[in-house]
Amino acid sequence: MAGLAGALAGKRVLVCVGAGGVGKTSVAAALGLARALEGGKVLVCTIDPARRLATALGLDALGNAETRVPDQAFAAAGLHPRGQLFAMMLDVKRTWDDLVTRHAPTAERRDRILRNRLYQQMSAALAGSQEYMATEKLYELATDRDYDLIVLDTPPTAHALDFLDAPDRILDFLGDDQAPLLLSPARGARLGFRLAQLGGSLVVKTLARFTGAELLHDLGDFLASFHGMYEGFKARAAAVHDLLARPTTGFVLVASASERAVAEARSLHDRLASEGMPIAGVVANRVTASLWPAGRPRPGEAELAAALGEAEGGLAPGLALAIDENERMAAFDAAAVAPLLAAAPHAVVPRLPGDVHDLAGLAALAERLRG
Amino acid sequence: MALLAARAGKRVLVAEVNAAERVAPLLGAPPAGPTIREASPGIFSVNVAPPAALREYGLQMVKFRAVYDAIFENRVVRHFLRVVPGLGELVMLGKILHEARAEEGGRPRWDQVIVDAPSTGHAVQLLRVPGAMLGMVPPGPLRSDAQWMQAWLVDPARTTAVLVTLPEEMPVTEAIELDAQLRERVGLVPTAVLMNAMPESRFTAAQAARLGPLESAAEPVGPAACAARLHAVRTETAGRELKRLRAALPIPTALLPLVASVGWGTAEVERIADALAGTEGRSPWLD
Repeated sequence: MAGLAGALAGKRVLVCVGAGGVGKTSVAAALGLARALEGGKVLVCTIDPARRLATALGLDALGNAETRVPDQAFAAAGLHPRGQLFAMMLDVKRTWDDLVTRHAPTAERRDRILRNRLYQQMSAALAGSQEYMATEKLYELATDRDYDLIVLDTPPTAHALDFLDAPDRILDFLGDDQAPLLLSPARGARLGFRLAQLGGSLVVKTLARFTGAELLHDLGDFLASFHGMYEGFKARAAAVHDLLARPTTGFVLVASASERAVAEARSLHDRLASEGMPIAGVVANRVTASLWPAGRPRPGEAELAAALGEAEGGLAPGLALAIDENERMAAFDAAAVAPLLAAAPHAVVPRLPGDVHDLAGLAALAERLRG
Repeated sequence: MALLAARAGKRVLVAEVNAAERVAPLLGAPPAGPTIREASPGIFSVNVAPPAALREYGLQMVKFRAVYDAIFENRVVRHFLRVVPGLGELVMLGKILHEARAEEGGRPRWDQVIVDAPSTGHAVQLLRVPGAMLGMVPPGPLRSDAQWMQAWLVDPARTTAVLVTLPEEMPVTEAIELDAQLRERVGLVPTAVLMNAMPESRFTAAQAARLGPLESAAEPVGPAACAARLHAVRTETAGRELKRLRAALPIPTALLPLVASVGWGTAEVERIADALAGTEGRSPWLD
């Protein structure tokens, strides 16, 4: 398989996906940095609330606005980029508001949605909302701005496949014209549940017992206010889907050397492939590098002591332990990531002595990612 | 922590939250799924997930399965339940706290309930749901459940948080932020922090200084020195981060060793339990 750098060269959008805790945010930032160093105008967009990206880029905090990494920060790290690097943290609520504003037929309807209590909570709590908004924002940035490359660091979902399912699931809900009808009696709860259907009556009464009638009222109102906006949402989601499927977009699967992360990346790979999404490459992160030729017995304490010419109490016991431990870990890691490397152009990033937490570290990571 | 409690003769429930289940397999048992099962003597486990937790919660309210099915299995209602903000988190947390307060024969069903919470941001989101519900849900069954759950979470005699982190820059920064968020946004006060995978120093400072030049030596010394120096650098970073963590958090820190093992199983978990048992001073989570 070819190196990762070649596979990513012509891309305008990179989407980093993978399990949580595999270093996805650092990989996204390093991929963006690499292109900025070469001369591109690059944006790295994260959704990670833990401020990792800000810390690594030498910024105090990231907001919803695109912030340029200052020249002093690069200079301090000994870097001289020929391009520009911008970073932002996605504000899910704001992105929802923008989407509603864009599609609401009237200002009155827009305000009715924005004021609804359920709507206000939805952005934070509805499963998949973050994922949906991440792709929505990506589309906006890719269409309205002049970046040469946008790198999206996807949310650390428990199950990475949520990322692909979320838009459909939420649209399915908002667009279900039955829901407002069935729940509409709840909006007139004070009128005593005028119900069209017997089944509906049982459903609504029981739900009201469960949640309180007021919450049902809010929900009925919420769904009714989206009524008729479904087509607009649907068209937009189709456009987002097309952007993701373009050949200038590339998905980058990130995994660390653990069974769980590799299994997650493989199932993502299969799912992306079956949906016709362009998989650009694979990053095997934090893989212990082997330092001793395979198949040869590892040096023991005595052999090391002899080579060092030292008596007892020297370095030999520690060295023997270190090389043995390293090679056992290297063998385990290599076996863990092997199934992934066959799948696409890839880069194997060795486990580094420290974690990546500044621009210099990101630049070193970027170098390793060339593949 | 569960092994340690079980060794002391306690009956423990470990709850994973909508996760790729690991606890039971680590103890050599098949995954428990949404039903509580004994994974090893005295240790029970469960993986709580929204659909099953909601079903249990719904059945408690509706009593009759046929009625439940007619209502909760209705397609539109399932949609509805998904959009109620935080309902999934509330029923999962509710299931766990319900077990924690359950009694059998006049005594608590469990001596200890351990929750393997999701990672940083998600954990706070999960734990703040009862409090947030109190702000948005009008009086009713849902609200009164949120009320007792919140009371349990913030009662230091009943609930405590144990932070777990790694001796690296970003995990330590996250742990420090998490401590503040738990205190401020949830009202839950952490009582200890566990520094996991802490490497042990193998060389004296004078010996470590010799490693650098030896890296370019011929085999077998060169490669072994490389491996040793990687380890020494990690140890040094770890020591620095441990110091930073201790300076930032006003709670006891316990160290757990780096277990360099190919794959994890019962033996490795036993080693970590031994290390926990041997941590200095009082272990606040044991009482």
